[in-house]
Amino acid sequence: MKILIADDEALSRRLLQSTLERAGYEVIAVENGRQAADQICTADGPRLALLDWVMPELDGPGVCREVRKRKEQSYVYMALITSKEAKEDVIAGLESGADDYLTKPFDPEELKARLRTGLRILGLENRLVEAREEMRFKASHDALTTLWNRAVILELLERELSRSHRENATTVIILCDIDHFKDVNDTFGHLIGDELLRETSKRLLASVRSYDFVGRYGGEEFLIVLNNCDPAFAVARAEEIRNTIAQRPVQTSTGPVPVTMSLGLLLSHQWGTRSVEELLREADIALYAAKEAGRNCVKLASPTPALGVPDSRIKEPARQR
Amino acid sequence: MHCRLGGNEQADKECGAQNEQAAKKARKELAPLIFDHEELLARVENDRELLRDLLAIFKEDFPRQLLALREAVDAKDGNRVATAAHTLRGMLSNLAASQAAATAARLEQMGRKNETLGFQEAFGVFENDANKLLPQLDACMAEVCK
Repeated sequence: MKILIADDEALSRRLLQSTLERAGYEVIAVENGRQAADQICTADGPRLALLDWVMPELDGPGVCREVRKRKEQSYVYMALITSKEAKEDVIAGLESGADDYLTKPFDPEELKARLRTGLRILGLENRLVEAREEMRFKASHDALTTLWNRAVILELLERELSRSHRENATTVIILCDIDHFKDVNDTFGHLIGDELLRETSKRLLASVRSYDFVGRYGGEEFLIVLNNCDPAFAVARAEEIRNTIAQRPVQTSTGPVPVTMSLGLLLSHQWGTRSVEELLREADIALYAAKEAGRNCVKLASPTPALGVPDSRIKEPARQR
Repeated sequence: MHCRLGGNEQADKECGAQNEQAAKKARKELAPLIFDHEELLARVENDRELLRDLLAIFKEDFPRQLLALREAVDAKDGNRVATAAHTLRGMLSNLAASQAAATAARLEQMGRKNETLGFQEAFGVFENDANKLLPQLDACMAEVCK
């Protein structure tokens, strides 16, 4: 564990450093408060600090105040060490943001015991942060596939559409659906259906760029958002994704299961300033067209339906996907 | 300290040791030691190399800090007296030199209150304590360097 000691007096610094190194700490020793605050506030800075009260440039309580103000990531446990011992000094020290207070000359065993208290508090904070991050992940990701969940992928789509309008760029929306997924569930059971969903999700993620978004939109339906995509390559990109899914069967626990997807593609710049809901409806119509065309293919949503082609937007048929 | 009467020999020995410790503590409280070698060894956790380093640092820093205090006293500058005395107090208390640390603390307090009239006298007492202390620290250094 890294620990920072700040003391302008060389003898105290040496004594502290030896005591702490002997106790197994990795010690960073500085000789004024300014250096202490800067070291603590670095990204990988120490999370334990022993600060002399009286120091040049910035005193111990000043360091505590600055660190509490600047450092918002991990909690830093700070103890003041000084020969000040009046009650009002203790109160001022603790109110500046210090967690503990030790008087000089310190007893090595007491010092180590106080630091163990600090470590316990930091350990508790780590567990709380982990729990918070886990909850945050669960709130934003789909439990089965670990892709973005429906609410988050829709928020991300809305954000990207606003950005592409501002920057006069294109956001590509791909709504895709596993073909005959109901048959997989009916034939092999829901556990195998889940395996298929997980593997398909992995393949989708592997087929896009790190800054694109993939979310689970519904049961076996996925929404892909390609940011700032060149419209000339959008169909080719969608074909690549389709091919990534279809190129080999999914190895499930009961054996290989073939999988294909139908994809509805939409290029935002062709649709003006339509709402997210409207664009998704159009992408869904294109997806339905892909299903109608025999599945395992990509269909592009067009703002102007071709003559003689039945306009599926007029009706919303119940469809077997 | 209460000792039970009519106990066995071991208990009597323990009781005697406790009394001796208590008496030592009381003596220390009444008249702080110039330099407590045992306490210093405990503070460095019997690390003689560290002790040698600390004494070397003290030997190098002390004259500079003493000069700073003397100049502050001569200038009757309360803030500087408090700062220099505070540094000396920290160094001396780390070396278990309680008597000189106590007189440095007194000077620090006087500096904070800007009691300039007492500066020279208090500094004289401090110098006297320091003069008694330095040979003891030298002897300690000679011993750890053996």
